[in-house]
Amino acid sequence: MIPFRRDGDMITASFTNLERRLISDLATSIAELLAPLASHINDDPLYSATGIGGSSARHPDPAIARLLPNAHADDDAASADFRRLTERSLSSRKVTNAQAVLTSLESDSGSVVLDAALVQSWLRTLADIRLVIASRLGIEADDDQGTADTDELVMLRDVYDWLGFVTESLIEALES
Amino acid sequence: MPQILERTETAESTLLDSPWVTLVWNDPVNLMSYVSWVFRSYFGFDRAEADRRMLQVHNDGRAVVATGPREEMERHVEALHDFGLWATLQQVDA
Repeated sequence: MIPFRRDGDMITASFTNLERRLISDLATSIAELLAPLASHINDDPLYSATGIGGSSARHPDPAIARLLPNAHADDDAASADFRRLTERSLSSRKVTNAQAVLTSLESDSGSVVLDAALVQSWLRTLADIRLVIASRLGIEADDDQGTADTDELVMLRDVYDWLGFVTESLIEALES
Repeated sequence: MPQILERTETAESTLLDSPWVTLVWNDPVNLMSYVSWVFRSYFGFDRAEADRRMLQVHNDGRAVVATGPREEMERHVEALHDFGLWATLQQVDA
C-alpha cells in the first residue's frame, strides 16, 4: 500500500491486488450483513417512504448489534422505538457506503481517488469493518488483544490492525 | 386569544423540561484520531475541543458531546451510529 496523500481536492492511495481484494471482500461482507435489515420486507409504502419499520430488539448477532447499538443506555422501550424508526435507514446508509468503497476499488491500476463524499464512505466503512472484526475476535475492552488461537484468527487480527493503519493514513492525509 | 395563551404554555413547558444530552461511550475499536476527526467534522469542534472530548471518552468511559432538545439529540445519535461510534441520549436529571 502507498498510504493516502492529498492531491489537490482529492485524496489518493494505491493498493496491491491482494489488499484491494481484501478490502473489497470485507466491504461486501458488511453490505451482505446489513442488506436484510436495510430492505427489511415491508411492503407498506408509508414505511418504505419514511424508513420506519426496523426491528424492536437489538440484533442477536453481536457484530450487527454493535453496528446498530441501542440509543438509550437505560431505557429499552425508548431504544426499541428509536430502532423501529432508524434501523432501516441507518442500515441502508451503511450498505450504500460499503458499495461506494467497492466501486472506488474497481480501477485495475490499484489506485483509489477519493473526493470528499468518498472519504466519508471510506472512513465509515473502515470503522464498520473493524467493529465487525473486533466483535468476531472478542475485543471488548481497551486492553483486549482478542482471541487469536487459530491461524485464521491470527490473520484476522493482522487485517484488523492493518485496517487501523489505513484509517490513520486517511485521517493524516485529510489533515495535511 | 386562546391561541396565544396556548402557545405561551407550550413555550413554557419546553423551557422547563430538563434538557437531553448526547453521550459517546468508549470502545476499544475506534481510533482516537478517528473519534477526534468525527467530533471536528460532525460537530464542528476545533482541534483542542475535539481532542479534549475524545480524551474524556477514552479516560472516563464516556463524554457529553451535545445538549439540547430530545429530537436534536436523536439526530446526533443516529449520525454518530453512522460513523460507527457508540452513542446514546438521555435526559439530564432534573
